[in-house]
Amino acid sequence: MRNEKTTTIYLGPQHPGITGNMMVKLEIQGDTVVKAETHIGYLHRGFEKLMERRNWLQSFTIVCRICVPEPDPNEENYARGVEEIEGREVPEKARWIRMLVLELARIQAYLLWYGGQSGSAGLYTIGQWSVGDRNYVLDLFEELTGGRVYHMYIWPGGVRRDLPKGFKSRVAKVMDYIEKRLDDYDRVMFDNAVFQKRTQGIGYIPPEKAIEWGVVGPPLRAAGIASDVRKDDPYEFYDQVDFVVPDMYNTSDVWARALVRRFEIRQSINIVRQILDKMPDKGPVWNKIPNPHKWRIPRGEAYVKTESARGEFGYYVVSDGSEHPRRIHVRGPAYVHGITLLEKILVGQNIADVSVIMNSLGTCPPEMER
Amino acid sequence: MADLTYENKVILEMREHFRDKIIETRVQRERRVVMRTSKDNIESVLLFLKEKMGFLHLSHIGCVDWMEENRFEIVYILWHPQEKINVLVKVDIDRLNPVAPNIDYIWPQANTYEREMREMFGIEFEGLVGPRELILEDWDDLPPMRRDFDTLHYVMENYSFRSGREDAQNVREVIANRTGEEIPEFAKKYSR
Amino acid sequence: MNYVLNDRESAKIVEFIKNFARKNSLWVLAYGTGCGAIEIPPTMTSRYDAERFSVRGAATPRQADVLLITGYLSVKTLKRVIRSYEQMQDPKYVIGFGSCTINGGMYWDSYNTIKQLDLYIPVDVYINGCMPRPEAVLAGFAKLQELIGRGQANGWRHYKENLEWYRQNQRKLIKNWKMPDYNW
Repeated sequence: MRNEKTTTIYLGPQHPGITGNMMVKLEIQGDTVVKAETHIGYLHRGFEKLMERRNWLQSFTIVCRICVPEPDPNEENYARGVEEIEGREVPEKARWIRMLVLELARIQAYLLWYGGQSGSAGLYTIGQWSVGDRNYVLDLFEELTGGRVYHMYIWPGGVRRDLPKGFKSRVAKVMDYIEKRLDDYDRVMFDNAVFQKRTQGIGYIPPEKAIEWGVVGPPLRAAGIASDVRKDDPYEFYDQVDFVVPDMYNTSDVWARALVRRFEIRQSINIVRQILDKMPDKGPVWNKIPNPHKWRIPRGEAYVKTESARGEFGYYVVSDGSEHPRRIHVRGPAYVHGITLLEKILVGQNIADVSVIMNSLGTCPPEMER
Repeated sequence: MADLTYENKVILEMREHFRDKIIETRVQRERRVVMRTSKDNIESVLLFLKEKMGFLHLSHIGCVDWMEENRFEIVYILWHPQEKINVLVKVDIDRLNPVAPNIDYIWPQANTYEREMREMFGIEFEGLVGPRELILEDWDDLPPMRRDFDTLHYVMENYSFRSGREDAQNVREVIANRTGEEIPEFAKKYSR
Repeated sequence: MNYVLNDRESAKIVEFIKNFARKNSLWVLAYGTGCGAIEIPPTMTSRYDAERFSVRGAATPRQADVLLITGYLSVKTLKRVIRSYEQMQDPKYVIGFGSCTINGGMYWDSYNTIKQLDLYIPVDVYINGCMPRPEAVLAGFAKLQELIGRGQANGWRHYKENLEWYRQNQRKLIKNWKMPDYNW
């Protein structure tokens, strides 16, 4: 018997399966979603307004708070945007350190994703393991920058301080440990029949539409399109390290996105090792900026982008020649993934899979509304 | 030296096709092409870039409030997936009568950007559907991202602080007083 | 031995047992209201393991004891938080997490975030820092347990007694007041 009656269900903002403080309004028929509508704005702080009131250096301390799970691409974008407009040089060693921080941030973001993705499919063990192991990466950050979550480390002109003594060897040790643990995660997550059944064929994005719909990052690579800002628009020294952009997992469902991330976390560990090899031992790490209260950036604009764990992070930085940013417009990957794309691909899915799909797209509300 | 062949080719082709409807074309740097057009031509320019030139991916729509010059500047940033080039198309619209064409039939995700701009800058897009409230709820002041909206004034009116902030000084003023320097007008307005 | 407790003594013992039970079973509402939510998974998982201090997550407000306000609240979220808080059953406790709940913190001049959380809902314990480390979160929970054990975490009672004052503050920010009236 076919039931034509639709029911409205509000998934969030207070819901254990939602990926942050947002809400998806679902119309369901039986168990099937017939219409989805994303509601955001619960985390709006008005960063772009606040930055107009702060000077160029003060703004740097708040950009990292735009995206909580992975703050470093924001700092990198902001720093590179300012440097591009001003024409400021960055010392060689600082650029290597920036890459190191970005890759470590990617690794910890993927470890958190392991927990979220498997938790939404009902497997809680991996979350206990991977979020616990993520603390080892956060410990490295703490040693390097002083903060576990918000680092405020990459700033215009370089990075804030040099690597501590013996830091490289500790990074190498943590990388070895995590690489070993990844095999354990594979055994309980990817070899698990429950996880395979829950993810294969779910959340399909048509590959021929993916670019047009604005998909970026792992979901785009899972559609078989090898697109990565690190290769396409290389920043720092990403053209000097070897890594592969995966396009072999092309079923474009949650399973393929999981495989892409599983592949990429290993690539990131590999990149970190190359960075440790190639980084010069000595040299300045910061090109000193003038007194920040009198530091004016010439009039101009720049669009800079960085590959974060969830996709392309873009900053449109505009300066009017004064001591304050004129406008800094942030484009997070979730801005498109979490609203228009999610509304499109949720239609026809089972209601139990909604949170699995949201995790696989990496919807992260703080960067949607800033 | 970076190879700018394709960047220059984009500019040439756009100039050839649109002639004087495209102004201020320049190659900003490797992989960044900037051009400016008018409000009436923006749809045809974007459609041409997408359908004929292959700029399939809409990266970003940004908006800048140039209050002194009495205009909003909307920037459409497109990405060419094969040639790996970003093109920035700028459009000026009048600040007193902010109406812009709606482009969400070209890229569906433009809908969100436009709804946000409608809410944050008060720009109307012709034929834009979707709820008027995207981020804010029951907002009855000026659109908050406009330059003339003073967030500190709003905060002082609507919220209260615990004691302990009274001795917070304007650092910029303290430094200027110490060195006897004149603070420029724009800095006075925005730095507190 | 034929000693009979008088009413006052027995009430004291019952209260002690109640508080002991309450403090050793804290169910935290899984509502990540702000950026502080990122330190909750590490607190709950293997390294810091809040469950050994009898703290664990609850899915719905009606089953939860503790509302953890993880960071700044925008006005839009405040409305939902008040509603979640009023759905929770007595006794209930609120922990304000992060500098931004205390006095605005990083976002002191933002037009969309509230500055003092305790004007809108009663707060039992504040944890400062941006962001507070998992150890600080655990210390905050330990403090809350201590207060509960002494019978001093009475924010929920205070809220009922001063409901008019709280309502007045809440209505000042939430312009379109469409909330159910709970009859306690």
